[in-house]
Amino acid sequence: MIQSINRRLWALLIAAVLTLTACASTPGASATAGSSPSVNISGSSTVQPISEAVAERFNEDNPGTAITVDGPGTGDGFELFCAGETDISDASRAIKEEETAACQEAGIEYVELKVAIDGLSVLTSTENTGVECLTFADLYALIGPESTGLNNWNDAEALAQELGSTTDLPDAELSITGPGEESGTYDSFVELVFGDIAEERGQEEATRPDYTSSANDNAIIEGISGSPTSLGWVGFAFAEENAEVVREIAVDGGEGCVEPTPETISSGEYPIARDLYIYVNKAKMAENDALVAYVDYYLAEGVIDSVLEEVPYVPLADETLEESRSTWEGAKAGE
Amino acid sequence: MAGASTAVPAVVVRRSLAGQGADWRGLIFQGLLLLSVVITLLFLFILLADVFSRALPVFTERGGSFLSSSLSSSAARSGVIQGLFGSFVIAIIVVIVAFPIGIMTAIYLEEYAPDTRLTQLISINIRNLAGVPSVVYGLLGLAVFVQLLGPLTGGRSVIAGGLTLAVLVLPIVIITSAESLRAVPQALREAGYGIGASRWQVTRSLVLPSAAPGILTGTVLSLSRALGETAPLIVVGAVSGYFSTGNASTVDQLFGRFTALPMIVFNWAREPQQSAFGPLTAAAIVVLLLVTLSINAFAILLRNRFEKNW
Repeated sequence: MIQSINRRLWALLIAAVLTLTACASTPGASATAGSSPSVNISGSSTVQPISEAVAERFNEDNPGTAITVDGPGTGDGFELFCAGETDISDASRAIKEEETAACQEAGIEYVELKVAIDGLSVLTSTENTGVECLTFADLYALIGPESTGLNNWNDAEALAQELGSTTDLPDAELSITGPGEESGTYDSFVELVFGDIAEERGQEEATRPDYTSSANDNAIIEGISGSPTSLGWVGFAFAEENAEVVREIAVDGGEGCVEPTPETISSGEYPIARDLYIYVNKAKMAENDALVAYVDYYLAEGVIDSVLEEVPYVPLADETLEESRSTWEGAKAGE
Repeated sequence: MAGASTAVPAVVVRRSLAGQGADWRGLIFQGLLLLSVVITLLFLFILLADVFSRALPVFTERGGSFLSSSLSSSAARSGVIQGLFGSFVIAIIVVIVAFPIGIMTAIYLEEYAPDTRLTQLISINIRNLAGVPSVVYGLLGLAVFVQLLGPLTGGRSVIAGGLTLAVLVLPIVIITSAESLRAVPQALREAGYGIGASRWQVTRSLVLPSAAPGILTGTVLSLSRALGETAPLIVVGAVSGYFSTGNASTVDQLFGRFTALPMIVFNWAREPQQSAFGPLTAAAIVVLLLVTLSINAFAILLRNRFEKNW
């Protein structure tokens, strides 16, 4: 009995070691693994669902192309992109100067293409009846760099009025939840809402440091719904998905209160909206036909429109999409 | 201390003989023990009931297609096949890398190495390694298997992920194997040497067969630990979104991008459309639970198969 068990045990061990060596020797044999057509996409987690849905549809017609879509965030995406690791970088904001510089240093040229629009919703709990509409001045007074330490809505009123707002802010506890600094949603919000006021007042373009931040949008929604007089902001898509637990506040960017809806965002009426982009590596276009075919498909008639029916972002106005198409055609002709 | 501990039973005995009152301290202690069991089971039950009740609709509506579909941006088409494949490959890599190296290290440390300061230092350090947070192993995997050995592993591939997890569970394999080797009665070894067997013969014919059940249980449990890890895979670069493999053969897929079951759970839990992806997350958890449970059941089977009484 002992003998037979221990034979088996040793046979097992030897088999394991053999497989191990066999395994170690295969990499050399398949070093050319990347030979099948492939497209590598990374970047904004906001744009990720669009690129994913396009990739899926593209794969239905072109099952031979391997496509990877990741969503670590716009900044991380550009880092990979400018290191030449990805073919396309999804972005929820335009590329920053220092990122452009990094790309130039690495000798990477790119084409910038707008693909959709995303609104940012300012949210409160569904139980909060005290607030209907907020101006940029109110938001600056509540969340901006000068609001550090405030924990009652009413305490922000003085600064808001100084900035020209007439909104009545309720005497209620203020608890703020929003995305953290690493997020493109944070950057867009700060730039669009605080940009002008902060510059005028000589303040840093940032939020107050003392609010609850999370990289997980569901956690933000949970934070906002968790307190009856909360305040926060998140992408329009997330807000619409969670309309049962959080309420969108209308925003006044200087031309009256506007509720965020697909129509007001697309037309530019709603003041906190941003463009969503894809950046395509030009050098990779030249050597990778699958990449060109994928972007062709991305911008083809009707593709994004049908994708945006499933993925809750807002389509570009027709002329803007047409602009993206001609930029793309130009980039292809330039090669 | 010894006097005090014998005094309590003496009092208890005297009281119970005299028919005075009950041993209330004992009763409280027993009550606390029972309470702990109930709390443990309660949390387990709540967790399982919650997950299973949310996952059930997915399995009844989607059936096998949930298991055979790839990742997708649409919840209705999403499935776990790519995660199953990734987790399966990771399991195989852990078995062929961590198990032999870990078990042989344990045999050396317990049976061959002289009991010196150095050996003790090594043993203590291996124990400490088992307590290192898994994300640290992820960084190690990123530096070594993804970047340094990138040309061999294919970069952010399932092979790099599997090797990282193999290194992660290596200390656990060594510790559990060493424990089972230490549990083999010394008399058995002495009997072997007494009849003139060499160290190799004693280890092979006496110690290993007797330690085999413990070694197998420990190693297979470490495998289920490896399958449940997410943090190292995030760092190594498991895909967080969509991926398709095109025309790549199975061998080529080993060197391409990958995902695994716990990664899928993590990503679906972050999806904006929670009304649609919430149940899918629960269903993926159920699949992961079933996979690890069946591995544990396999470990118990193996142990019973090899178990012997001395």
